[in-house]
Amino acid sequence: MTKILTGGVGKSEVVGAVTGLGLPGVEIVVSSDMDAAVLLRAGRADYFLGTCHTGAGASLGVLVGLLGAAACHTFGRSVPSGAQIEALLDEGKRVFGFAVDQIDAVAPALVRALAARTL
Amino acid sequence: MGAQLAAAAGGLDFAPAQRLTVIGLCALTAFVSHRALAVFNDGVRPFLLDFVQGRTRRGATGAVSFGLSAGFVFGLGAPMALSSGVLNPWLVFLPTDVLGILAPRKWLAPVLGGAWGAVVVFGLKGANDAAHRLPVDFLTAMQQMSTPILFLFTLFPVLAVCKQFGRARGAVAGAVELVLVVLTMKLWPKVFAGSLAMAAGVLMLIGFAVARDLRERRDGATTDQDAGNETGVDDPMASLFSASAARLRQHLPLFMALGAGVCLLSQTHIFGGGEATSFLIAQGQYAEAAQVDFYRAFGFLPLIATTALASGAYGIAGFTVVYPLGYLLPNPWLAVVCGALVFTVEVLALSGIGRVLGRLPSVRDSSERLRSAIGDTLQLAVLFGSLLAAQTMGGGLGLLIVGGLYLLNEAMGRVVVRMAAGPAAVLAGGVLLNVLYWLDLFTPLTS
Repeated sequence: MTKILTGGVGKSEVVGAVTGLGLPGVEIVVSSDMDAAVLLRAGRADYFLGTCHTGAGASLGVLVGLLGAAACHTFGRSVPSGAQIEALLDEGKRVFGFAVDQIDAVAPALVRALAARTL
Repeated sequence: MGAQLAAAAGGLDFAPAQRLTVIGLCALTAFVSHRALAVFNDGVRPFLLDFVQGRTRRGATGAVSFGLSAGFVFGLGAPMALSSGVLNPWLVFLPTDVLGILAPRKWLAPVLGGAWGAVVVFGLKGANDAAHRLPVDFLTAMQQMSTPILFLFTLFPVLAVCKQFGRARGAVAGAVELVLVVLTMKLWPKVFAGSLAMAAGVLMLIGFAVARDLRERRDGATTDQDAGNETGVDDPMASLFSASAARLRQHLPLFMALGAGVCLLSQTHIFGGGEATSFLIAQGQYAEAAQVDFYRAFGFLPLIATTALASGAYGIAGFTVVYPLGYLLPNPWLAVVCGALVFTVEVLALSGIGRVLGRLPSVRDSSERLRSAIGDTLQLAVLFGSLLAAQTMGGGLGLLIVGGLYLLNEAMGRVVVRMAAGPAAVLAGGVLLNVLYWLDLFTPLTS
């Protein structure tokens, strides 16, 4: 089971956008940047999806500082392709930030990719 | 309201002392941003840690800052300043963030910042005059934005309560706010109708959140899982936070100057700090503006505190409480003194605030809900206001152009940020209607 935490201004919307997909092997829970930092470091959660108005720094909050920039990626307001997502996951990115007005496009794509990896 | 606003929209004609304040403050904010000690854009702050620690270059960080700020300058800051006649932080501080970070030399940062301040105080007036002389005056039409923004903004605490604490409490908060708005309109017609309601809404949200956190602490006292996290596993967070707080404390005099400057700018009454405040300041409703920005600060305080502690860079306006303080203070000298004092307290208290926030997850959650709710209410208000403006300047054709541009932006995957799409469409539509007028294809509506 891959555990995904959400945070930022659209944290409930991200969960809502993903829950209806009925993806096996992933659990997605509303959290916050500070709590997620603790859980990810302790290995009690696997990924973090953050949102803010620009899809950048504020979506990740304290996570950049605590997990290091190497584990973090911000899409900003852009919508990534499947190949981009795969490449980022291969690089070991675990923390993703995107814009609150692109949740419907980004969140399902990201979580589908994560779910595919659990099989 | 309309007439007062129209008079105020001519108000971009600033006094020399006000101009000097803006230029001086812009020079200071650019310098502070150059040193990576504070930036206005909350989204840029987390990236400054890598820059401070030397892992990223000035150019790359500047590019990030520009990419995150440009939309808010052109989409939110500039249209709002042009339509309200009052300056706002997106227009004044976001460009100085970018210029400061990009400036290759220490002395160049304040020069560029000051130059931007000059562009704002002199250039805006010219653009404003030119636009008002056009046959289709889209800036006057944009004043239609104020009513929807002011009244829908009133509801933001209700949405936050509803999202965090469920439908029942959301409905109660909504009913309480509605009753207070009606009462305020009846009993104190001169006061902004939403001020009391907003106060009640924010207090309800914070009350619910603190109650939930205290209850959960009491229930969890036996397992003490959270406390264990804070002391044990959290160590890297604690050490990062204390290093950041120490870095900020080292530069306290600079922050005192910054606080003094921002408070002074607010005291001149040519500046509104929040999304809804510019319109209140334009109408001279300083007490109401202070209330609105004071409650708004609760939505941003935890974000600013945690990003500052995680990055070692503070906010240009701090916890933004210097805005309401500035609006209310009777003279500029007092504003300078109080602003410096407030920033001193904020910077010194930052460590403690971080610790307290760490123990209050529901309060941090509330702040995120508040910001989300501010976005939701503004989105509807700005869209509706943009359509009202479209109708005012061009009737059905105006609605077609502005509404069409908005929908087109949606269909194209939101090239322009959704919040800024409406005002941007009004500006583009206004220009287009003027072109059509010159081609003799459109007759302006006479109001």
